[in-house]
Amino acid sequence: MTTSLAKFRASVLKDSRVIVRDRQALFLFFVMPVTFVLILSLALRDAFGDRPGTTFPVLVVSQDAGEVGRSVIRTFRDNPHVRLALAETASEAQARQWLIDGHYRFAVLVPAGATEQARRRLGEIIAEVPPDLRLERPVRLRVLADPALRSDYRRVLEGTLDLALHGVEMRLGHEQLDQILRASGGMALPALADMERDRLFDAVHGETITKRGSGPTPTSVQQNAPAWTLLAMFFLTVPLSVSFIKEREQGSLSRLQTINVPAWVVLGGKAVPYFIINQAQMGLVLLVSVHVLPLLGGDRLGMGSAPLALILMGASASLAAIGFGIAVAMFARTTEQAAGFSSAMVMIMGAMGGILVPKQVMPPLMQDFAMLSPLSWGLDGFLDVFVRGGGMPEVLPEALGLLGFSAVCHGIAILRYRRRV
Amino acid sequence: MPMHCPQSIQRVPPPHGSSAIELRHLSKTFPGGQAPALDDVDLCVPRGGFFGILGPNGAGKTTLMSVLAGLLKPSSGTVRIDGRDGLAERAAIKRILGIVPQEPAIYPTLTARENLDFFGRMQGLAGDLLHARVLACLGLAEMNAEADQRVERLSGGFKRRLNMVIGLIHEPQILILDEPTVAIDPHSRSLIHQRLRELHQAGITILISTHYMEEAEQLCQEIAIIDQGRVLVQGTVPDLLAGQASQTVQIQLTGDPPPDLGPALGHLPGIARATVGGRCVTAVTRHPEQAIPPLLEMLDARGLKVRSLIYGVASLEQVFLRYTGGRSAPR
Repeated sequence: MTTSLAKFRASVLKDSRVIVRDRQALFLFFVMPVTFVLILSLALRDAFGDRPGTTFPVLVVSQDAGEVGRSVIRTFRDNPHVRLALAETASEAQARQWLIDGHYRFAVLVPAGATEQARRRLGEIIAEVPPDLRLERPVRLRVLADPALRSDYRRVLEGTLDLALHGVEMRLGHEQLDQILRASGGMALPALADMERDRLFDAVHGETITKRGSGPTPTSVQQNAPAWTLLAMFFLTVPLSVSFIKEREQGSLSRLQTINVPAWVVLGGKAVPYFIINQAQMGLVLLVSVHVLPLLGGDRLGMGSAPLALILMGASASLAAIGFGIAVAMFARTTEQAAGFSSAMVMIMGAMGGILVPKQVMPPLMQDFAMLSPLSWGLDGFLDVFVRGGGMPEVLPEALGLLGFSAVCHGIAILRYRRRV
Repeated sequence: MPMHCPQSIQRVPPPHGSSAIELRHLSKTFPGGQAPALDDVDLCVPRGGFFGILGPNGAGKTTLMSVLAGLLKPSSGTVRIDGRDGLAERAAIKRILGIVPQEPAIYPTLTARENLDFFGRMQGLAGDLLHARVLACLGLAEMNAEADQRVERLSGGFKRRLNMVIGLIHEPQILILDEPTVAIDPHSRSLIHQRLRELHQAGITILISTHYMEEAEQLCQEIAIIDQGRVLVQGTVPDLLAGQASQTVQIQLTGDPPPDLGPALGHLPGIARATVGGRCVTAVTRHPEQAIPPLLEMLDARGLKVRSLIYGVASLEQVFLRYTGGRSAPR
C-alpha cells in the first residue's frame, strides 16, 4: 500500500506538471467561467429577483380630465414595470400605428367625458333604472396590445387597468352615496381622503419562503455563478478525456499497463489535479461574483450561510465531472471522439439541467426531464445554499446524487481500464 | 558500464532450468479479423540469449510483442516468461520485464529526467536508488546535457534513446524491444546497438523485433523469421546462413531491368527461382558455378551491365527471400 501511495503521488505530480505546462488551456479553464458569469449576470440582471425587471412601454391617450383619466394615468405611473407615455390628442389610428411600429407594447385610450358618462350610469344604477331602460352604456376604454407581448404580461397589464377602474367605481360610488345622504337628511359620509390609510386590507406583498424562514429572492448572479461554474467544471471532461486518449496514442498508458501500477493510481493521478482546478474555478467565480460584479453594476452574490454545504457541493460536482470525463476516455477511441462526445454531452446536460436556460422558465415536462441531468442536481444544491438558505441537510440529497453518479462512472472506467489490459 | 547501482533491486528468484521466454502454439485472432495475427507460434528464447524476431511490416511482430508485454491476451496457446505463466503470474513477470515499445512511449511535455523519474517511481523505485538509476539511464542514453529539456523539443533519435532507457530503469532481467531503431539517425542507432550488446554481455535476455536484416544479423544470436503471423524458420544466425550460403547468387545492376527479367531468368537451366527487386537480381541455384555463365549472357544480351556479383556468401535477406518466396522483403 505504501508503494501504491508513492506511485499515486508520482502520478498526481506527473499529471499536474502536464496540465500546468499547457498554459493556454489552463488560462481558459478559469477565464471561461468568469467571463460567462460576468456577462450573463450583467445581461440578465433585470430578469431575476425583485428588480423592476422587464419594463413595458405603455401609451395612455387620455381625453378625459376627470377621475377616470387621472386614475388610469396614476395607476400606470406607479407601476415599476411600466414606462408610461402620455398623449392627450392622439387618435386611435395613431395609437395603433405606434404599436405596429413597435414604439409601445400596450395602449389605453380613455375617451373624452368618460368620467361624466360613468357618473351618469352610476346615477341610473342607484336610481334602480331597469337595465334595458338605462340610457348610459358602460364606459368603454379602448385597449390595444402588441401581438408579440407575452400573454401573461398582457394579463398583468389588463389586470392593472381593471384595478384602476375598480378604484374609480368605488370612489364615484362613495361620491354619489354621499350626495344622496346630504340631500335627504343632511348626513354625510366620511371623506375618502387617505385611501392608503383607510384600507380594509393590508397591501398585498408576497413573502419569499425559504428553508430557513424568509430570505432574498434569487438574483441573476445567484443563478449564473453556480450554473456557469458547474458547466466549466463539467467542461473539464474534455481536456481530461483527451489527455487520456493522448496518453494512449503516445503509448505511455500502454507502458504503464506493462508495469505493476494499479488502475486507481493511473485514474486517480489525473483526477486529483482536475479536482483542484475545479475547486479553484469555483473559488474564483465566487470571488468575482462577490467582489468584482458589484463594481460593474451587477448584484453582489448572496452566499448564504453554509460554507461547508458549498464545499460539499463543489467537491461532489467536481467528482461527478471527473468520473464522467474518465468514463468517456475509457470508451472513446480518438481525441476527436472524446472531445466531441464529452462537449456535446456537457452542453446537452447543461441545457437540460437549467444551466443554459433557467429551470423556472421551462414547462413542467421539461422541468421533470431536468432532474435527469447531474448539472441540475448541482445547481439545485447551490441554489439551496445561495437562495433557499439551506445547509448540509438540504444539500445532502443533491450531493449524494452527484457522488453516486461519480462512483458509477469511476466504477465503469476502472472495469473498462482493466478489461483493455 | 554505468548499469550497476549502489543498491540493487529486490528480485524474484527465477525457477531453475527454464527458458527466459517460451511460447507454445500461440495464436491471436482479433475480433472481426479474417486471418489470425499470430498463428500457432512456437518460440523459445534461452536465458541470457539475444533473440531477434525478423519480419516485414504487418508480419505480426508487434502483436507478438504486445502478447509478451501482457497488453494482449492470446486467443490460444501458452506464454511462459522466466518459467512463469504469462497470464496467471503477470505481476511477478512485470517486475523482471523491461518493455521498449515501437513508438516512444513518453510524456512530451515532461523533461527526460522527469520521464525517467516518473517511470522509475511507477516501477517502485525511490530515494537514492531511484536517483542513481535516473542518472545511470541518462548516461546510457548519453543524454546528460539534454536531461532537463522537455522531450517535445528533442530530436527523434534522443526520444528513441530515452524510450529505450525507460525500459531499463528498473534493471530488468528480460528486455523486449519492438523495432527500437525505426526512423533514427545513424549515431543514435549505433549507440542503441552498442548498449544492447553491453546489456547482453551483462547477462540480460534480449528479445528484439526488427525489419532491418542487417540489425538482426549484427546483434542477434538466434533469429525467428515471422510472416503472416507464422514462424517460418528459427535458428542461430550461423545455422540459418550456412544452409543458404551456396544456393544464392546476388547481382547488382547499373541500370533498371525490364519487368519480365525475373521470369526470364527463372527459365535458365540450373536456376530454381529468380527475383528482381529494384536493380538487384537474386537467383537461387544448387550449382552457382554452372548457373552464372548463362545468367550473365542473358543480362548482356538485354544490354544490362553488372555492377557486382556475389555468391557463396549468404545474408539474412537471402534466407528471408528463400522462406517467404520473396513475397514481402524487409529492408
